[in-house]
Amino acid sequence: MAHEDRAFYDQLAERGVTRRGFLKFCGSVAAMLGLSETMAPTIAGAVEAAAGSKLYPAVWLNGGACTGCTESAAQSTYPDIAQIVLDILSLNYIETVMMATGEDADKALYQTAEANAGKFIMIYEGTVMTGLEGNTLRVAGKTGLQFIDEIAPKAAAVVAVGSCAVDGGWVKAAPNPAGGTGISMYLKEKGIATPVINLPTCPVNPEWIVAIVIDALLLGGIDENGKVTEGLVSKLDQFGRPSFIFGQTIHDNCPRRGHFENGEFVYQFGSPEEAKGYCLYPVGCKGPQTQTNCPIVRWNNQTSWCVESGAPCIGCGNFNWVDNGAPFLGRMRKIGIGSVGAQGGGWEPGVLGAIAGGAVVGALAVHGVGMKAAGRIGEGPATEPMKEYDAKRAKKGGGN
Amino acid sequence: MAENIVIDPVTRIEGHLRVECAVEGGVITDAWVSGGLYRGMETVLKGRQPADAFYVAQRICGVCPISHGHAATMSAESALNVTIPAGARLVRNLIEAGEFLHSHILWFYTLAALDYVDPAKALEADIAETYALAQAAGTSTANFGAVQAKVKALVEGGQLSIFTNGWLGHPGYAQDMPAELHLIAVAHYLEALEMQAEASRVIAIMGGKFPHFMTSVPGGTTWVPTEEKLDDVLFRLLRIRDWIKNTMIPDTLAIAPYYAGALEYGKGTGNFLAWGVFNSESMEMVDRYLPNGVIFSAQGLKVEDATPDKVLEYVEHSWYKSDSGLNPQEGKTQAVDTFPGYDVNAKYSWAKAPRYDGKAVEVGPLARMLVAYLRGVAPVKSIVDTALTALGAAGKPEVLVSLLGRVAARNLEAAVVADWAIEWVNELIAAAKEGGVEFYTPIEQNAGKGAGLWEAPRGALGHFMNVEGGLIANYQVVTPSTWDISPRDADGVRGAMEEALIGAPVLDVERPIEAARIARSFDP
Amino acid sequence: MAHKLYREAHPMPFVLTHWINLLAMFFLTLSGFYIHFPIFPGFMGVARGTHFFWMFVLIINLTLRIVLAFVVKSANMPDTREVDLDIKNWLPQAANRHQMIPWIKYYLFLKKDHPISAKYGVLQKIAYLATIPMTFAAAYTGFCLWGPTSDWGFFLAGTTWVADLFNAGGGASLMPMRILHYWIMWVILIFTAAHVYLANIYNFAPSKMIFAWKESGDH
Repeated sequence: MAHEDRAFYDQLAERGVTRRGFLKFCGSVAAMLGLSETMAPTIAGAVEAAAGSKLYPAVWLNGGACTGCTESAAQSTYPDIAQIVLDILSLNYIETVMMATGEDADKALYQTAEANAGKFIMIYEGTVMTGLEGNTLRVAGKTGLQFIDEIAPKAAAVVAVGSCAVDGGWVKAAPNPAGGTGISMYLKEKGIATPVINLPTCPVNPEWIVAIVIDALLLGGIDENGKVTEGLVSKLDQFGRPSFIFGQTIHDNCPRRGHFENGEFVYQFGSPEEAKGYCLYPVGCKGPQTQTNCPIVRWNNQTSWCVESGAPCIGCGNFNWVDNGAPFLGRMRKIGIGSVGAQGGGWEPGVLGAIAGGAVVGALAVHGVGMKAAGRIGEGPATEPMKEYDAKRAKKGGGN
Repeated sequence: MAENIVIDPVTRIEGHLRVECAVEGGVITDAWVSGGLYRGMETVLKGRQPADAFYVAQRICGVCPISHGHAATMSAESALNVTIPAGARLVRNLIEAGEFLHSHILWFYTLAALDYVDPAKALEADIAETYALAQAAGTSTANFGAVQAKVKALVEGGQLSIFTNGWLGHPGYAQDMPAELHLIAVAHYLEALEMQAEASRVIAIMGGKFPHFMTSVPGGTTWVPTEEKLDDVLFRLLRIRDWIKNTMIPDTLAIAPYYAGALEYGKGTGNFLAWGVFNSESMEMVDRYLPNGVIFSAQGLKVEDATPDKVLEYVEHSWYKSDSGLNPQEGKTQAVDTFPGYDVNAKYSWAKAPRYDGKAVEVGPLARMLVAYLRGVAPVKSIVDTALTALGAAGKPEVLVSLLGRVAARNLEAAVVADWAIEWVNELIAAAKEGGVEFYTPIEQNAGKGAGLWEAPRGALGHFMNVEGGLIANYQVVTPSTWDISPRDADGVRGAMEEALIGAPVLDVERPIEAARIARSFDP
Repeated sequence: MAHKLYREAHPMPFVLTHWINLLAMFFLTLSGFYIHFPIFPGFMGVARGTHFFWMFVLIINLTLRIVLAFVVKSANMPDTREVDLDIKNWLPQAANRHQMIPWIKYYLFLKKDHPISAKYGVLQKIAYLATIPMTFAAAYTGFCLWGPTSDWGFFLAGTTWVADLFNAGGGASLMPMRILHYWIMWVILIFTAAHVYLANIYNFAPSKMIFAWKESGDH
């Protein structure tokens, strides 16, 4: 290490984190950010330096949220949530854990946005609630939309945490009774140009927040003027998602992939195949069409993740994940026509295919019977002596 | 002359809450509580498959998704007539126990503690004295010096982060509580962050992840225990239990005497409802480890069996246009077409007003502990009696019907649940050794009506599902918060939290910490 | 009426490409069904391998068939050994003009006489030409789903477009593309059913020609 900050490691030790464990973590962050493992000391240095320097101002807004993403952030390790809010970010507004309450809490938000205009991060959790002119979400006597309108234009960047913030999440699922949408869609509609970093899944995985915070703040993703740099933008895909997190399917990195290739499947819960940890594809696993790095990063301090616990992936990182993923224990989403089956009733795509195929074969069979009755089988009817068109033209006296 | 004060947003809770109080002569004389968010879960679920409710409905609450997930999956099982096998019962109890432990630790330290503990006061503490006090109080020690230095650096650095604009130095904090006790609590506030995470790791092992778990599908569980995973669950639970017994309970008992005044207010309706939680072998609600029951203040501390038939939901003061006074099994949730504005004399909340047998009832750990105490559940009786003795109220469980009682009941429950959880892991280990234990029963029926009646850490929870032709025809949820933050009903009767606020003192109308305390004591 | 069938109608290279098409479609459909839902265990790796192998065969074969159309000559009309460059016979010919409606009427039994046809009837030509975009669409949607190619800009654009179309709100999701890929197979199956039926409704001479290269009728 370039410099040994004793106090920093003492603080880590207080939380039961060894220096080695911390460096190991920095290695995994490097890997996630698409950097070489040799960058680990640089990241460690950046985190260390952060511990002694000015904290970067941030506010965390809850839209139409279940608070699951805040909860999830609290499950972060290395840096844990205390380190994030005491050593890296000055999280001046976060309804779920902040000390202030009532008007004083509201003031903390607006003061932070005023005092640090253009140089703070707005983390947004939950759905943007547009129903009833935004009154489906009311905070401090205002609608949730007013908060976005007033705070987002001042932020250096918006980090949308969780699928609700990214595109409306389950709230937006058909028939979307409360008018939910995602923050990037809403900002676009309002003409607010603040860049948005999208971190889907329900809830967001805290390791991804950490990766983004380190990338944006400690490794220069946001410059001194509060501008998001080209380097950070180039890491985002066309949906504003960091491609180093959302670039590959779960299926491609799944530890059960071997069982998939071998054709070893769980067809029923409670079966011996399930106990053997076979592939969950037939019981509706959406891993093949879901792009997140869950199998690598896993959840809750790498304790486990959905497939490891025997549960098929429900594709919570997909856009419109409920409509796309339901029925969650079925292989494919059902197809409805209009409002019929729009909420996941409907028909299996295969059944629709078979109906269409069956209808054509049936029609051909009927046609065949007709052909036979018309005596067209065998030699068939004689060819017309001249085209009908020509015959008509000939009658009229025209030529071809 | 009454003055109206408003707390909006009430922070450090799950969701969006507004509390409005009328204060006269330093005492709250009336209150209106408003839920600020409508997302339409019940409408979204209609027309989907019964099994899908488990995945979607738990996303109502990110702090208690496990309980919602279980209630949703139980509503499908009840509608489609399936009983889960023995292995699944134990696994679900364990996952739910993880949820309770996680939520209670998080609530007491991360959410509620700052109403009783002033980090600014902790700066005045003498470190040697702090160790001595911790030892005397029987609570665990930490690196108190480092914690104090950390708080000091934060305050001196001028960047208060999550403490920005907090009511540091508020006169409502117990003025006679020693600075050393403040420091102990702040140190444990930081430690609790690790312990709540540990509890969620217990859930993650069996449920895939937390928040929002994956494994309790209708019919049983997809998680099949293996030896190394069971070890992992057991030893993590032991760590949590020891921490609760050696830190959280002693902290509670050490701080409580300084807030003895809180035994006198925040009493609320005195009516309590619990559906019960943690199934025993019989799978009957009254036989649950924390059993079903309802208590009416008019009849004193007496418990009767609770049934969902007696629940009706009113919307006269809520922003819905659907019929009022429906039983949730046939309930409807349709938002108003145009928003009429916030008006405490008309509609003022997104929460409905559920009533049990026509009465506003309180749900939560206090309800559960009282019901279990009255039903003679041994571990509950023993720990409650111990706590009553410590508070100088031996043999008087009625004193628990108060702000302080509500806080204490939650922490005592955590200790009881931690013990049971260890019992269940051991049962599961024994069953696994024997072999033949099952975790899943397939569902065959495709129509029916049912309810998943269960408990979230914050109180009685009901999911109601009607299934027709294999699809959900109607879905209704009555959350614990709906009970507790209920607005007035058709007759103008106040909800549980509204009632509990009445009579509470307000020292400083600009900073009504007492009202915030009462609101948070429900863990809404 | 039944025609005389000479080998010039389907020169040898086309008999071969037709065979390869048939085999490729057969294996792709079977393996595709298995990948869509593995009704019995044990064959996923085999099915995927089969699917990818025949996918490449089909694409190469189709490309080859298109190139050959510009090189190989085939009979330009029924009942003749007179040949023309195949592409001319594939695309609409003079004898196809004004014949769409008579063909429809004929198939619906509203017209007694067999319409005058070029090498193929009008509907037949439309169907045969449609197989080209249909096959390419199957391949394209397949590449959109396949791990190694799914993140190529060319395929990602299609994935996004289809997701937008199906979801009215859009974004990244492979599910709509998966369903579309699956449905294209059904369209191909439906084409095949009609193709087999119409080719053999009078007698099996066309099958004998295209599979066994055996002439029939008066020579």
